[in-house]
Amino acid sequence: MAEKPIQEEKRVFMTGNEVVAWAAVAAGADIMYGYPITPQNEIMHYWTRLAPKHGKKFLQTEDELSAGFTTLGGALAGRKSFSATAGPGTTLFQEPLSMAEMMRIPVVVIVQQRGGPSTATVIYSQQEVNMVTFGGNGEGWRVVYSTATHQELFDYTIKAFNTAWKYRFPTFILGDGYQAKMREPLVMYNPEDRGIEMIKPVASLGLPGTPGKDRDAVHLRNTYSVEEELYDATMPIQEDYEKMSKEVVEWDERNVDDADIIIISHGVVSRAAIAAMNRLREKGVKVGYFRPITLRPFPDEQLQKVAAKCSNFLLVESALGQLARLVKSALFNMPIDNFDTLYKPGVGVTAEELVQRIEKTIK
Amino acid sequence: MAEHLAMPKSWNTETKPHKFCPGCGHGLVLKVLGEVIDELEIQDRMVFGVDIGCSLLAWDFFNVDTVQTHHGRTNPVMVGIKRANPKLLPIAYMGDGGGYAIGSQHLVNSAFRNEKIMAIVVNNCNYGMTGGQMSPTTLPGQKTETSPYGRDAKETGNPTLGPEMVAAIASPGAYVARASVSNMKQLKRFMKKAVENQIAGNGFSFLEVISSCPTNWRTNAKQTWAFMEEEMAKYFKTGELRTPDESKEG
Amino acid sequence: MRYLEAYVGEYASGKSENAINRALSLIDQGQQVSLIDLDLVEPFYTLRPLKKELEALGLEVVAWETRETMGLGEAGSILKPEMRWVLKRPGHVIIDVGYGVSGSDIFNLLEGFEESQLKILAVLNIARPMTSDTEEIIHYLEGFIRVDGLINNSHLGADTDLDIIRQGSDIVTEVSRRLGIPVVATTVDERFRGIMGEKDHHGNPVRYLKRYMERAFW
Repeated sequence: MAEKPIQEEKRVFMTGNEVVAWAAVAAGADIMYGYPITPQNEIMHYWTRLAPKHGKKFLQTEDELSAGFTTLGGALAGRKSFSATAGPGTTLFQEPLSMAEMMRIPVVVIVQQRGGPSTATVIYSQQEVNMVTFGGNGEGWRVVYSTATHQELFDYTIKAFNTAWKYRFPTFILGDGYQAKMREPLVMYNPEDRGIEMIKPVASLGLPGTPGKDRDAVHLRNTYSVEEELYDATMPIQEDYEKMSKEVVEWDERNVDDADIIIISHGVVSRAAIAAMNRLREKGVKVGYFRPITLRPFPDEQLQKVAAKCSNFLLVESALGQLARLVKSALFNMPIDNFDTLYKPGVGVTAEELVQRIEKTIK
Repeated sequence: MAEHLAMPKSWNTETKPHKFCPGCGHGLVLKVLGEVIDELEIQDRMVFGVDIGCSLLAWDFFNVDTVQTHHGRTNPVMVGIKRANPKLLPIAYMGDGGGYAIGSQHLVNSAFRNEKIMAIVVNNCNYGMTGGQMSPTTLPGQKTETSPYGRDAKETGNPTLGPEMVAAIASPGAYVARASVSNMKQLKRFMKKAVENQIAGNGFSFLEVISSCPTNWRTNAKQTWAFMEEEMAKYFKTGELRTPDESKEG
Repeated sequence: MRYLEAYVGEYASGKSENAINRALSLIDQGQQVSLIDLDLVEPFYTLRPLKKELEALGLEVVAWETRETMGLGEAGSILKPEMRWVLKRPGHVIIDVGYGVSGSDIFNLLEGFEESQLKILAVLNIARPMTSDTEEIIHYLEGFIRVDGLINNSHLGADTDLDIIRQGSDIVTEVSRRLGIPVVATTVDERFRGIMGEKDHHGNPVRYLKRYMERAFW
């Protein structure tokens, strides 16, 4: 029997990619399938170092299509399966993920966003929001956790496996190249030691007994013949998704009750947003903060409630309006005082520039 | 009920008669596969993966756990299952488009890595399901909906020789063969050896089966047989190309 | 005395920070120093963004410059040709070695390594999960042909306290005793100057580090 991956709760100092590998081990992941792409490589580097010590497996595939489809195979066989990718790799992942959506295959994929479009940079962006939320030929039946700190990378990677296996929708951890490479402290723990029950995976195929004799054979498909048949197949999935949404939606809001202006951001950019809010509050400027943690499902109602109090927004992201699209959809038909934006595609955002920007607007 | 007696036990009787066109070779390939499943008693361990194309019609063909995947992606799904649970026996079932065009990188790399799965490519020289377009194995001069004046090898290359390609890159332990529905005895021998090779866990098992598509070939029974045995046989030689002990039946 | 030192260690153990600070301390003494970025796993990550700043301080930095690269991280020859000859440079030579499974094999890429007096110094942070106790560190050090000195660089970034530094010193000193490899220093952030003094509680010399790397994400 493999030893417990984490003996006791412990404060450690690591890079984000390593955190993900350790979190996957702590979450009881069984197998990772992957293809090298920067900036997620150290997830594979550390998983391959850790896996044999804990009776876990790894397969390096020929490309991301294969990484995605083998991950589906692993989950169908009843093993907690995951992969990690970025940029053009995320593009290729859309095909297997659409199959996961249609067939309710619980896979976990970590995306460390890099610059786009195309090959662009290996470094950083928030330009993969469109892809992870609504990529693929479907309706965006995914859960997407956008993390901001190493502690969150650890916590939400563990949570992602539970969300995937509980609700059977493909689940993303959406990080970025900065989070991947940044070093900062966090506490690692075994989820069970904290009373977090890890959901046991169940096999869809290869069940005990002889099909046709002891039990019915399992016949799975994602193909339908006619419009009505497809409609009948998809509407229950949508119902499940909506029902799940209330349970999994997560957000963070601070200082919104008396705010004159609210910064909306997600992921690593929200660190700058918090810092800017704190500095401006010290100067007496009433700044609030709203951050969706799940980008899918999006905290529509929560944002609407905030907008009812203050709808002077500054939306900031390292992309050209990908978060803004989700936010505008949530705020549709709401009266909005002001919707200012700061778009920096593929470029980081600092607290200083947010402070300057808000000081200029407020005056 | 007489014909039911000839049905392999592993067939799903509720979905018979099957939905393939009259004269289609798929029924014969699946008959042989069914017999092999019965004889080797693997119904409880086998996972059947079907591609897009006519192979998709086999998604409920057997009383065997089955998953239909995407076009060309059946190999990686089967690889993922095998890697996650090595006790299972995944068999990927696809046509020449899924095997040699859209899924060729997966076939090649499954062979390179000597994945312990089995892949069956049913070769009927065209994309039957989408209306008879040119496929990787369409013969030179053969007319299809996308080669209306006949396949011009100068423009589109020569027919893909799948087993020869796989045999060239496969590792020791692999089993690679080509059979034909026009020689059922040989097909059965090769099918059984390919499955046995997978059960033994020796390496990648690959079987191409020359098959018929009278609907898209627009041939009667006699012409169908002649096309397989005369035209296709010129390019696609049946026989074993790799066996684990390197003895080959030509 | 001419110093030839290579800083090795686990991913994010503080190799670069140690190498930069060591090189700059020699510069402060008015000496000629070359700092070499020998990171082949993430060459685009470590010293590159700081190159200009460090050169302005008088260091000779052998590292890729952003403008010399194309498709950072996607393409490009990773070993800068002059890196191969760095042991032949005049003055002190401080080498920042990247992490990776090849361990000390990386030194095979340096001309004259075998006959050189290059000191291999292992930078250790016990807050790193794979070098968190004596056994793990000993196992980790076995991956190198030789290690000539140990550096206790145990810290938790902004959350560092005296406890983690002391625990690190305990463990690294124990490793030193068992392997017979000296502890060269306990390295701590400048903000502990005045709290720590010149030696830690095991008598290991304390070196204070100015943080350069936090500005060098990529």
